[in-house]
Amino acid sequence: MTEKMTHIERVLASLGDQPVDRLTVYPIACGVSRRTIGDGTMLYKDWCSDPKNYAQGLISGQKYFDLDLTVGLMDLSVIAGDFGSHVRMDEQNTPFVDDPVIKGPEDYEKLQAPDINKGRSGVILEGTKIFADALKNETITSGFLEGPLLALTQSASAEKVFMDMYNNRSAVHKALGTFTEYLRDMVKGMGQSKPAACMWDYLWASYSCLGDNEYDEFEGQYKYAGGLNELVGKEGMALAIHNCADLPHLDTQIKAMKPAAYTMAYYPLIPGSPSASEVIGKGYADNCVVCGNIDPQGYVRWSQEKMQKTTMNLCQEVKTALCARGLKSKYCIASGCEVPPSVTTRLENIKTMVDTVKQYGQVTC
Amino acid sequence: MQGQEILAALENAVITGNKADSIKFAKEALENGVKALDAIDNGLVKGMTIVGDKYAKHEFFLPQVLLAAASLYGGLDILLPHIPTDGTAKRVVGVIGVVEGDVHDIGKNIVKTMLTAAGLDMHDYGKDVPVENFVNSVKKDGAFILAMSTLMTPTMDGMKSVVDGLIENGDRTTVKIIIGGAPTSQPFADDIGADMHAINAQEAVKKVKEVL
Repeated sequence: MTEKMTHIERVLASLGDQPVDRLTVYPIACGVSRRTIGDGTMLYKDWCSDPKNYAQGLISGQKYFDLDLTVGLMDLSVIAGDFGSHVRMDEQNTPFVDDPVIKGPEDYEKLQAPDINKGRSGVILEGTKIFADALKNETITSGFLEGPLLALTQSASAEKVFMDMYNNRSAVHKALGTFTEYLRDMVKGMGQSKPAACMWDYLWASYSCLGDNEYDEFEGQYKYAGGLNELVGKEGMALAIHNCADLPHLDTQIKAMKPAAYTMAYYPLIPGSPSASEVIGKGYADNCVVCGNIDPQGYVRWSQEKMQKTTMNLCQEVKTALCARGLKSKYCIASGCEVPPSVTTRLENIKTMVDTVKQYGQVTC
Repeated sequence: MQGQEILAALENAVITGNKADSIKFAKEALENGVKALDAIDNGLVKGMTIVGDKYAKHEFFLPQVLLAAASLYGGLDILLPHIPTDGTAKRVVGVIGVVEGDVHDIGKNIVKTMLTAAGLDMHDYGKDVPVENFVNSVKKDGAFILAMSTLMTPTMDGMKSVVDGLIENGDRTTVKIIIGGAPTSQPFADDIGADMHAINAQEAVKKVKEVL
């Protein structure tokens, strides 16, 4: 199918709410893209531990699925692992921390930041440079980093951190300070890799987890996320935020933090979980490209017909809401969270989603 | 302190997430002749129910809920050994855990706490629980309720493996299975042969109570 705009033209137009030939589309297909390399048998652990493999997967996935964007999401155990947590590395699925480095209150203050160029953080920095360079004339690219509170909860278990917010408040802040300093170095490293944007995963900003005050104290404030967001701009990258939680703090993360793009999920069973039309209708897409919200399990469990119908319905919902709001293009049809990187994910469903947006994503108000 | 004051203190200890107070007032309850079951039901559980309601209304958030749960268990550790044998015999056993390959256990821990507060004797198998451990738990623990959760799509199929394993070993008919976690739904529960699905801890308690 020949299209009237290039990926870059379309994304830039969307960022400025200019007319587009169709809505932008981005299934967050990162780890799963390794399966588009060669004979498709690359193991997850080989993809996520080698910068060339990591970049090659993202480059190959962009071409295979014809994506408008490329984001370098790896998994959420990267920083915890580099700080000393043990990561269980399954061959074909998302790795996770099975032995956190922080076991007791005293461990918060003992954290030692590693060299950003070693471990999987180094893989991300080096790999981002490779894919950002390779795709600079094809798509808008974005690096991906875990926010400080996420890095801490991965390093200690979320339950422990949440209780220690009250039981050992100063120790938690000390650890957040350590992670923030580390992340400042990562942002500077990311700036040298030259992706167009840097996307933060700030997933604890959810009303099913933290209230506004707690989120502000333990991540949102200038000392942590606020300053990191500012640094992203100073390093020449656009700010993007990912939050796949059920009840995201949209006022904080969109209206106050002012990202250029915000990716989010939708949980129809959870009362209050905002749908695409509600998000647009309430003005969150006025100054930010909101990206969402195909259910990630659809890539594993649905038929191609169901994926096509769901994507068509989302396109229609988004187009109607954009027109009602007087907007032209500030929504990207995306997955609500990462497309599962497992071997059971149906690559044809990813392709179907993209092709459906190409066919039904034209906005005519 | 008199009985009613002690019960109110226990309730408040849970609401404020003060484990030390919970332990202190549980001991005080026993020393002052308050029945252990009364102290649990009209003190600790009453407090936890209020915490659950506040969480549902977004007046409380996870830190407060987790501290309340820790406080509840602090009091229960003191009081449970003092429940008469005929009282403990009435408690329905439930087993709970996060399926293999997943370590997200906050939701599971809250459901466990609320089911404990609802009167069940919950056996917690933790996170990343192998299929055979779930399957064997039903007979081993004499469970009537089996609760499983996962937050990740790729690990959902582990729930079906547990159901299939229970059918295979003949224990499926003796247990009611409830599942939860972000990617799950009632249609998925129906697909894999589970009995119930809950979107949160409050709904889990409601649905479990309906089948007791």
